[in-house]
Amino acid sequence: MNRNIARAVAAVVAAVAVALPAFAGAYPLQVARNVMMYMALAITWDMLLRSGQISFGIAGLFGLGAYAAILGVVRGGMPVWLSIPFAAVVAAAAAFLLGFLILRLRAMYFSIVTLALAEMFRIVIHNLHDFTGGPEGIVMPAGVIFGGNAAALYWLTLAGLAVALAASWWFEKSRIRFALTAIGNNEISASSSGVNIFRWLLVAFTVTSGIQGLLGGIYVQSYGFATPDGVFSADFTLLPLAMALLGGMHGTVGPVLGAVLLGLVSEWLKLKIPYGHLIVYGIIIIIVILFMPAGILGLARKMSRGAEGGKS
Amino acid sequence: MAAKQNGNKGKHMALKRRTAILAALAAAATVLILLWKPTVINNGLQQAGLYAAIAIPMGLVLGIVHIVNLAHGEFMMVAAYATYFACKALGMDPLFAVLPAAAVTALLGWVVFRLTIQRALKAPELNQLILTFGIAIALTQVVNILFTSQTYKIPLEYVSASIDIGENTFPVWSYVFVATAILYAVGLRLFLTRTTAGKAAVAVGQNPRGAAIVGIDVNRSYGLVFALALALVGAMGALFLTKSAIFPQVGSPYTMKSFCLVAMAGIGNIPGILGASVLLGLSEQLLRAFRETRAWADIVFFVLIIAVILGRSVSWRRKK
Repeated sequence: MNRNIARAVAAVVAAVAVALPAFAGAYPLQVARNVMMYMALAITWDMLLRSGQISFGIAGLFGLGAYAAILGVVRGGMPVWLSIPFAAVVAAAAAFLLGFLILRLRAMYFSIVTLALAEMFRIVIHNLHDFTGGPEGIVMPAGVIFGGNAAALYWLTLAGLAVALAASWWFEKSRIRFALTAIGNNEISASSSGVNIFRWLLVAFTVTSGIQGLLGGIYVQSYGFATPDGVFSADFTLLPLAMALLGGMHGTVGPVLGAVLLGLVSEWLKLKIPYGHLIVYGIIIIIVILFMPAGILGLARKMSRGAEGGKS
Repeated sequence: MAAKQNGNKGKHMALKRRTAILAALAAAATVLILLWKPTVINNGLQQAGLYAAIAIPMGLVLGIVHIVNLAHGEFMMVAAYATYFACKALGMDPLFAVLPAAAVTALLGWVVFRLTIQRALKAPELNQLILTFGIAIALTQVVNILFTSQTYKIPLEYVSASIDIGENTFPVWSYVFVATAILYAVGLRLFLTRTTAGKAAVAVGQNPRGAAIVGIDVNRSYGLVFALALALVGAMGALFLTKSAIFPQVGSPYTMKSFCLVAMAGIGNIPGILGASVLLGLSEQLLRAFRETRAWADIVFFVLIIAVILGRSVSWRRKK
């Protein structure tokens, strides 16, 4: 019964999301694109988190994908449509190879190394002037994909979000979920139950990084240029992290909820305080960690359970 | 079993021999650089002093409170801003503000500790990491809102003091950072071994439950150590202002670098931070000395941090 309602709600939301360009103007579509981009990143971050590994390197793989897409077209003569899956492949391959080195690390050591890797990607791209355009960045000679059509750009980002949602759903429904949850809960008991920890972490890291690269490719093709400071911006790590924390981790719904709330609030705050609207993210992270570590979703569950408990 | 132990012993000896060889190579490289590019040694040592003086307080917090404070450099940035506006208002030299800056930052640190970090001490390590990350963002953005991203600097004459030796000119002001770093290392050693509060802090760092059982107020010790570390960082904020322009993000690279240095030295090893800083400072300045490699100086630190963490993870696994 409950599941049917949830399915119906999901179908309606999906239909509205697909049909949005029919009744929304350019500005709401732009806001929706931003929210969806961060939402997809928040979902991928959460997917890896389900194994207990916290990545601080989202911006690194996002930026890597972005540069792979734009360089594939400008230097490799690739068709524009192909450059977006190419971005995903490059990011996934990089994550796969790096995974052999860094997925043996745990807790804060993994987090710090992912952050350092993201910075290394940025510096390398920044310094390879001749190939990447250096600090000034690089421009798509043909301009924005689809000739900048707002509805088409919106659908492109929506497609990226759909990939992230589908992957997250797959992670929740297939046996990867059991493997990742077992690893997240207790590695020793997981490995003694025959879970190949390293293999599943590598799968999760490669898939989530590939999607982050895909999103980077979509982002760069929808703006038509890339600069190292732009696509490797700390925002791409920070905002998704805060969104997933606020909504509630370890699931698809939490990051989605968090992204809608924070995305709209930050869009509004950007107009109110042009300098330092990011303070909201800092404060939300502090409050959530201290007072509601399970996020809004966890708080709602606790309250509904409390209400039921009160009745009986 | 015995054979395995012998094998381990052999490995250990080999490791020691390797360390000795590495140290000898490093010494030889230093002498070569000194003869070839003397300015690299001069700048590298000064840079190392700055890194070490900022990293030592982080090592203190990590060693005793067991918290990676990702807002470490941001506290220094706040101290530098406070010093700047105090100096502008009163027309004084930042050097006179070192002690007040230390006091104000210690107080701020104590309040932040009581309000936030203390509540998360029992939470999983990653929650603490994200919490201090949030504090770092909040501090940066508050400064950004109040003073925008404009840079501020106090022009001072004595900063450009230098000594001419032969045909080279050596700027010397930044040796104040080296002196501070050594002072911090020695002072902390004395504090931790000679005073009651320091000994209590060491006990709490080793075993909080045991310390609580013998009657040490654990939370008070944590708060004290955190405030002390921030006092040291606050003093560095005032000193930092003599040399550099400040802006809201000025502290964040130092957070990462401090963590890297502490991780390289090994947690609880404060003199080791001095050595690690010299390595980082010299290698950065060496790359800066040539036009072709100048842009790559920033990457040294990230390569080091990854190499150190991966290297340590390998040796940890061997121990197991």
